[in-house]
Amino acid sequence: MSDRTPRWLRYLGLVRPNVPADVDDELSFHIQMRIDRNIAMGLTPEEARRDAIERFGDVVVVRSALVKHDERQHATERRAEWVSDLVQDLRFGWRALRRTPAFTIAAVLTLALGIGANTAIFSVLHAVVLQPLPYAHPDRLVTLGQGSTGEYLALRERLRTVSDLAEWVATTDPVDDGRDALRLTGVAVTPNLMPLLGAAPMLGRGFAPSDGAPGGDHVLLVSFATWRTELGGARDVVGRTVTLEGLPYTVIGVMPPSFRYPRADVQYWMPYVIDPKNIGLLWGVGGKEFVGRLAPNATLDQARREVHAVWPSLRTLNPVWDPGADYRRDATATPLKSNVVGASAPLLWMLFGATLLVLLIACVNVANLLLARATARERELTVRAALGGGRGRLMRQLITEGVLLATIGATAGVAIAVFTVRALVAGVPTGLPRANEIAVSGTALAFTLAMSIATGIVFSIVPALRATSAAAWASGSMLGRRGWGLRSHTRVSGWLVGGEIALAVMLVVGSLLLVRSFAALRSIDPGFDPTHVIAARISAPEATYAPGTERLATFYAEVLDRVRAMPGVRDAALVDQLSLAAPLQGLAIRVQGQYEDVTRQLPFIDHVQTVSPGYFATMRIPLLRGRSFTDDDRADQPPVAIVSQSVARRFWPSGDAIGHRIGYPYDSPWFTIVGIVPDTKQDSLRDTSNVTLYMPWSQRTQKVGSELWLVARTTGDPRAAGAAIRRIVHGIDRGVPVSDVRTMEDVVSASVVGARFTAALVTAFALVSLALGAVGIFGVMSYVVSERRHEMGLRIALGASGRGVVTLIVGRALRLTAAGTAAGLVCAVIAVRPLQRWLYGVSVLDPATFAGVPIVFAAVALLASYLPARRAARANPAAAMRDAAAGAGG
Amino acid sequence: MPTSRDPGDLLQGTLRILILKSLLLGRAHGYAISRWIEETTDDVLRIEEGSLYPALRRLQDRGLVTSEWGLSENNRRARYYTITRAGRALLRAEASIWLEYSHAVARVLRAEPSIA
Repeated sequence: MSDRTPRWLRYLGLVRPNVPADVDDELSFHIQMRIDRNIAMGLTPEEARRDAIERFGDVVVVRSALVKHDERQHATERRAEWVSDLVQDLRFGWRALRRTPAFTIAAVLTLALGIGANTAIFSVLHAVVLQPLPYAHPDRLVTLGQGSTGEYLALRERLRTVSDLAEWVATTDPVDDGRDALRLTGVAVTPNLMPLLGAAPMLGRGFAPSDGAPGGDHVLLVSFATWRTELGGARDVVGRTVTLEGLPYTVIGVMPPSFRYPRADVQYWMPYVIDPKNIGLLWGVGGKEFVGRLAPNATLDQARREVHAVWPSLRTLNPVWDPGADYRRDATATPLKSNVVGASAPLLWMLFGATLLVLLIACVNVANLLLARATARERELTVRAALGGGRGRLMRQLITEGVLLATIGATAGVAIAVFTVRALVAGVPTGLPRANEIAVSGTALAFTLAMSIATGIVFSIVPALRATSAAAWASGSMLGRRGWGLRSHTRVSGWLVGGEIALAVMLVVGSLLLVRSFAALRSIDPGFDPTHVIAARISAPEATYAPGTERLATFYAEVLDRVRAMPGVRDAALVDQLSLAAPLQGLAIRVQGQYEDVTRQLPFIDHVQTVSPGYFATMRIPLLRGRSFTDDDRADQPPVAIVSQSVARRFWPSGDAIGHRIGYPYDSPWFTIVGIVPDTKQDSLRDTSNVTLYMPWSQRTQKVGSELWLVARTTGDPRAAGAAIRRIVHGIDRGVPVSDVRTMEDVVSASVVGARFTAALVTAFALVSLALGAVGIFGVMSYVVSERRHEMGLRIALGASGRGVVTLIVGRALRLTAAGTAAGLVCAVIAVRPLQRWLYGVSVLDPATFAGVPIVFAAVALLASYLPARRAARANPAAAMRDAAAGAGG
Repeated sequence: MPTSRDPGDLLQGTLRILILKSLLLGRAHGYAISRWIEETTDDVLRIEEGSLYPALRRLQDRGLVTSEWGLSENNRRARYYTITRAGRALLRAEASIWLEYSHAVARVLRAEPSIA
């Protein structure tokens, strides 16, 4: 129990007492004393030593027992001491914080904002990106992308590095469970999908291999949520029959709530039935997603190489057409997680980086507040130092206070985070994968705790170092009140605020870029006029309204007639795939005189819309040449088509497209092109491939189901027409679901919701950082003013104008801000580079943004320094003189 | 405890009393304690000096003595032990038991018939 080392050093665990050395000291002292005495008694040194050791007994045993004992003893003591010191520090810190409520509230709020934002984004990042997928050995799962069932079967047979492969395809079908018509979202999966992912139903049984063969029973697995809400949540749901596409399906099981593959909104899974005899369906229809599990000894890299080698070799297998020499050159395997998480990962990391900046700014701000407060507590600290507190002890006290402050801030921050995470999840219904898994988890809380301790140390270390060195110095010389230089305090503050501004500049630059990009995105002309248009999805069940039947045609004709007759409706039309709502399906086509051989590679048209005659008028897509579809373009008339400008230019660059003929990718009657319209945005506003082929709905029966979108142009608010459309459809047939009733403007906004979300979030962070920066400037300028009160008073007494004093103070703030802004802009040039991928129509080094930011910050500096400056200008010259005289005299 | 038949316990109990008693004179290092015992008992109760130290640790653990480093009479670094209030109280209680016990034994031995 050596007392040689100062207590605080041991407290910090920096110095450990040397227990064995102490024990040796004690024992050797004993034996040496005995030897000395023995020699004094007349023994020879040799005899003296032997006797001493004999009297002592077994030195080795005693020594090791003592060392063991003392070391244990030490550990216990150190712990107890540490705890008691900590309790003392905390109690003292708490009292100190309560003595200065304004400071405490300001600091806690600042930290709560910083830590709250950080925890919220970390929660999302953790749930979406960091946490493994909720499947068995998720790191062994891969996706191979999309393909046809023929390719699936061939790959499944050939691949050695992938032990099992499943395919799935989204199906959306009206489900009639005997109540009002509703629309459920489902996927058709090969029966091996669930075992492949390591999932099993919580109720009932899973799919059997026979469920995926032709002629099997019609069976369904339903999601937990669907079971609870749509199907009543009773355990006897297994065995119940629901109707899909007019066919009865038996519910064989309920999947657990954790199973939500491939998306959280999937409500049921049905077996994907593969008929090996239907060659056309097998090889002609793509869009199936392949997901597999790596073979036990295979690596991802091996799988990548094998897929890359095997898939292109399937080219010759395709009995329907030759997919061309470039076929599947880019085939590869990707980890399932990166496929699921996709573009969200970089976005969330970017947002996390932004919140880290906010937190850093909050730290700097609080450090500044602490610095100012340390000045106010100078006398207290000096006294404590003089009473033998010791520098280390004082520093520990200040850091403990800082961590205490941060912990209180973190507690408030967690409350903010819980609220924010909820808002975040609600705010991005479609934008984020795995949204259902997002919550402020234990990991996130642990992260916050670590964060608050780290922030506590970060923001209190500079003030603590300065305060304690000054206090030690002051206690040594016991020089009066102004023991340590306020001037140097101001200089440190200035550095801190400058740094704070630099950080804020980076955030503001990022936010301006994103906002400008979003504005650019919104200003893109989609090629149609989305105002005053309402859209509604009408899902006529194929069992009652089979595609191509008279009954279906009559139904939609009746709907159109009645909607057109509604007051306030100018025009209405039908379209199979609504623009900007979801990626559109395309079609390979033959072109007469250019691509006629179906055994060779055919050109692909990215977007095909099947429309009723009024479509172009309703969407206000002007006709450039030729004619629009009319009611005369019936099924028994010669087939016609309309193409967008890019299609016309691509195939008939020099001539007129009108009159030329195109066709389906198999032997079938030609369609004659009768009109040309401008390109429109189809998949997204950023879309650059705007080739669209329009076909009249009355002539196109293949590949178009019985579900159509109704679009109607209204004179007034289109929203009002929504309910009426629903009534009209249900008035004709109650069994036809109407869903996704939205205005076209909403559809357009929803297509850029991700960009808006990112811009809004980063802007919120930027505003917070701007506000914190303003507070920082205000704080340091107020301090400058109070410090130089005498000087200001003297200046005024000597004839300086109030304006001159204001200029002096504001000028100083502007210089400080200019330095911080310059540093921030330089850093921003590098820091905003990752934003590139989210920017549209704006360069990462957008001159307007980089020029605008200094103006914003100059304005903030003006505002934040004006109040302190005015206070300085009103300094009472007489009082200042008196103070100065007193200062000089005393 | 003096009443125990275990010689180890007897020794420890005895050693404890010897140490505490020696410290009544003031703080002392281990060697001084062993020298005091040696001289006071005329070397009758010859103890192995090494066993003194584990005994001192046990006393310290029980709060009967405290220790600190200091300089010895010949200017060497030595560890000094001081008896605490609890140590004094324990010594008093144990001493009275010992005295009572030894008186009783003495009475028994003096009773008729005489041993010799």
